[in-house]
Amino acid sequence: MAGSGKAHIQGGEDVVLHVEDLVVEYRTAGNQKVQAVSGISLDLIKGETLAIVGESGCGKSTFGKAVMQIVAPKSGSVVFQGSDLMKSTKEELRQLRPKMQMIFQDPVSSLDPRFTVSKIVKEPLEIWSRGSDSEQESKIDELLNSVGLEPALVRERHAYEFSGGQCQRISIARALALDPEILICDEPVSALDVSVQAQILNLLQDMKDQYGLTMIFISHDLAVVKAVSTRVMVMYLGKVCEIGNPTDLYKNPRHHYTSALISAIPVPDPEFSISAQIIDGDPPSPTNPPSGCRFRTRCPAATELCAAEEPQLREMGGGNYVACHHPRD
Amino acid sequence: MSELLRVSNLDVRFDTARGLLHAVKDVSFNLEPGESLGIVGESGSGKTVLSRATMGLLTMSTAKKSGSVVLNDVEITKLSRSELRSKWGTEMAIVFQDPMTALNPVRRIGDQIAEGPRVRLGMSKKDAKQRAIELLKMVQIAEPEKVLKKFPLQLSGGMRQRVMIAIAIACNPKILFADEPTTALDVTVQAQILGLISSLRKQLNMSLILVTHDLGVVAGHTDKIAVMYAGEIVEMAPTKELFSNVRMPYTEALLNSIPRITNQSGIRLPVIEGRLPDPTLPQNGCGFSARCKYATEKCHTERPQLVDGGNGHMYRCFFPLGVNK
Amino acid sequence: MLRNLGFFSKISFAWLSLMLFFAIAGPLLPLPDPSEFSDALGAGIFTSGHLLGTDLNGYDLFANIVVGSRNSLFIAIISVGLGSLLGGILGIAAGYLRGKTDYVLTIFFNIFLSIPNLILSLVLIAVLATSPDPTQTVADSRRLVVIIISLTIVIIPILGRITRGSTLAWTNAEFVVAAKSMGMKDLMIIRRHIIPNVLPSIYAVAFLAIGIVIVVEGALSLLGIGVGQGISWGSMLARSQGDLEYAPTSLFVPLTFLALTVIACNQIGDALRQHLDSRESKL
Repeated sequence: MAGSGKAHIQGGEDVVLHVEDLVVEYRTAGNQKVQAVSGISLDLIKGETLAIVGESGCGKSTFGKAVMQIVAPKSGSVVFQGSDLMKSTKEELRQLRPKMQMIFQDPVSSLDPRFTVSKIVKEPLEIWSRGSDSEQESKIDELLNSVGLEPALVRERHAYEFSGGQCQRISIARALALDPEILICDEPVSALDVSVQAQILNLLQDMKDQYGLTMIFISHDLAVVKAVSTRVMVMYLGKVCEIGNPTDLYKNPRHHYTSALISAIPVPDPEFSISAQIIDGDPPSPTNPPSGCRFRTRCPAATELCAAEEPQLREMGGGNYVACHHPRD
Repeated sequence: MSELLRVSNLDVRFDTARGLLHAVKDVSFNLEPGESLGIVGESGSGKTVLSRATMGLLTMSTAKKSGSVVLNDVEITKLSRSELRSKWGTEMAIVFQDPMTALNPVRRIGDQIAEGPRVRLGMSKKDAKQRAIELLKMVQIAEPEKVLKKFPLQLSGGMRQRVMIAIAIACNPKILFADEPTTALDVTVQAQILGLISSLRKQLNMSLILVTHDLGVVAGHTDKIAVMYAGEIVEMAPTKELFSNVRMPYTEALLNSIPRITNQSGIRLPVIEGRLPDPTLPQNGCGFSARCKYATEKCHTERPQLVDGGNGHMYRCFFPLGVNK
Repeated sequence: MLRNLGFFSKISFAWLSLMLFFAIAGPLLPLPDPSEFSDALGAGIFTSGHLLGTDLNGYDLFANIVVGSRNSLFIAIISVGLGSLLGGILGIAAGYLRGKTDYVLTIFFNIFLSIPNLILSLVLIAVLATSPDPTQTVADSRRLVVIIISLTIVIIPILGRITRGSTLAWTNAEFVVAAKSMGMKDLMIIRRHIIPNVLPSIYAVAFLAIGIVIVVEGALSLLGIGVGQGISWGSMLARSQGDLEYAPTSLFVPLTFLALTVIACNQIGDALRQHLDSRESKL
């Protein structure tokens, strides 16, 4: 896979975010160049939850940060609200920040340990001077209630007094304070206990409905992703393998990597036959990715074509796209 | 006694700043030779403390341990430090969660693997090196001679975990404790490692105690499962039996709240409300009663004992699911 | 917080408070004039109306200690305070802004760190606070200022590096990334999030530095380039250098005070570090 291509770009009225040919590069400690994201394009449709899945090192987190311009991409364009964020000045970018917010993986370190909860949630309102002091206070209460926390009990306490799940709720309250349009969640439940994951996933769904959000949900956990997403994009080593709707993708993955990922998931059911297509080896080094299709070194269906030519995304029907020369049937 | 391991009334308490923390409450279980047991629980359930205490690895002076652990007819809780140490590696071995911190970053892989055979089995340097190569082959690492000379930082996460497994099985232990062995790994690598552990187990006729929070992992790789909650075993049964006839409301709730790829997408997940009880506070009644949707008055006041419901299925509940009174 | 201090920390705190009291209230105390000749020469402790004895000039040692504490402590506190402030600002700039700023500042820090403290002070004093004409001496106040400046310059890179390291760690924390993504301006982030979290590491080191600087001042005095006519513990040592045989107390007294004060500073600095470390691990 290692696909690029824009076959999946639709355009149209409902596009809230348009990413084109995004490339993110960084230098490793050994002074080698690594492309974490190698030319990815994407249209984010209003109201959808787009999940970006892949294993560690595939570039999904970097992609999320690059879209938010927290990490500076090397090239490409990110068009939001009519302007290309890559070409905006620092101040123009800053003005757009309230509209695009992020939830991070580690719930505890997302919050300043010296701040009380009310100060944490109030901060965004203070930065942008949204409302009078009393209006801000009631907004804080409203937000805390929305995320399932009792304001009177949590306001004056510090972040370190709470569990992971509760910290994540506080982060969500903070992110929603500015009424954003887009919410990017970077592995929001990966650090949480299993029973708490469900609570937070439900909460995100509820918030999405209540505040009319469009979400990008980044995760390595395919089972979690299936529960929340309306569209799934699978990444490998900085490129896109497959993108499509969850039902089709999970039932009949067209890309060999997607198929391997799905069959590798341990299912809590001993009767479930493990037709695990266990792929061999470890992911290749990102400093020197394989030519052509980047997955070819571990792919059971690889041919010479795969080494010679990088596959582009093409439509497989039903809004599903695959970047593979020999997709599965 | 034909069992390999018999743990009886193991109890562990810690003296902490906040009070006495009762981490493991009177836990008992057995392990037959060649059997694999999964200990499942969320963080705070006591599963890691249980596995450490069983092996005798609890070194904190604040720990108060009581109960009996009999390994191969030897009561290991009564052994001296050096006697216990001689059992590690040769009879019991452990694979940890994070291979990065479990391996010494400044020693070569070969030295770390060879250490066990040299110290425990008295092998010569040359023989131990051969053994190390043999072990690396067993854990399916390519080019073992080259890997011997490398340092842990030069290997990927999956390879490091394989090296840890190689170190663990180096002296042919009878029991392998695997404490969240794949949590830190990617899902494709996880599948490889779990498959490796399973095949090694059969090859070496080793017993396995697999400690994890992931019910999916135990479903495919264990003969029997013990579910822990707030320091106690609340349900224990052969694997198939557990999944087809769940008796504990906690286990049922846990199974329901896990996102699965077999679910439909975009649905709302059932949740377990509330949080784990505070382990420093004494408990009245069942530890799960505050969060249990079937709880009655009795559940809040009386503590249920483990009951044998037949078919090797034990549970700790006054009103187990699917059982008619 | 005072309640949690261990026994040694309590003693150290009491000692430092006492020294500070001497430094501030010294002139108001009913003590003999430090330069007053008395009949008792080389007297031991608790003899003939002199609490800590006298030196070979008949000067009352206790009076000299009290007056000397002013110079010794203030030089240390001012130079460490200024050095921490400037070093802190530069360190935060280097750690937060990275890139060229960091590169240049780090080189600057490294250059100054590579010069031994004493040599640096010597050079600065020689250049700025001595007159080419050997018969004319430079005003004491000028000497004092130059000493403080040179010690400050020594402290800046030490604290700069520590602050930089701490800033680097905190800048990468997710809540700082979150603040940026909320559209917070850099200066506000530094003020609200970075500084409060970096400050604890500065306090702890600053205390240790105070102890070091007191000793350095003593060394400068022994070398003859200290506060000149003024009195400091170091100058007391310098004056009594050769008197070990006949008036040992005149050496031991300032030595003891110096040592105890430095130990007390170390103890407080250590206790602060431990207290803040344990708080950090709770966070």
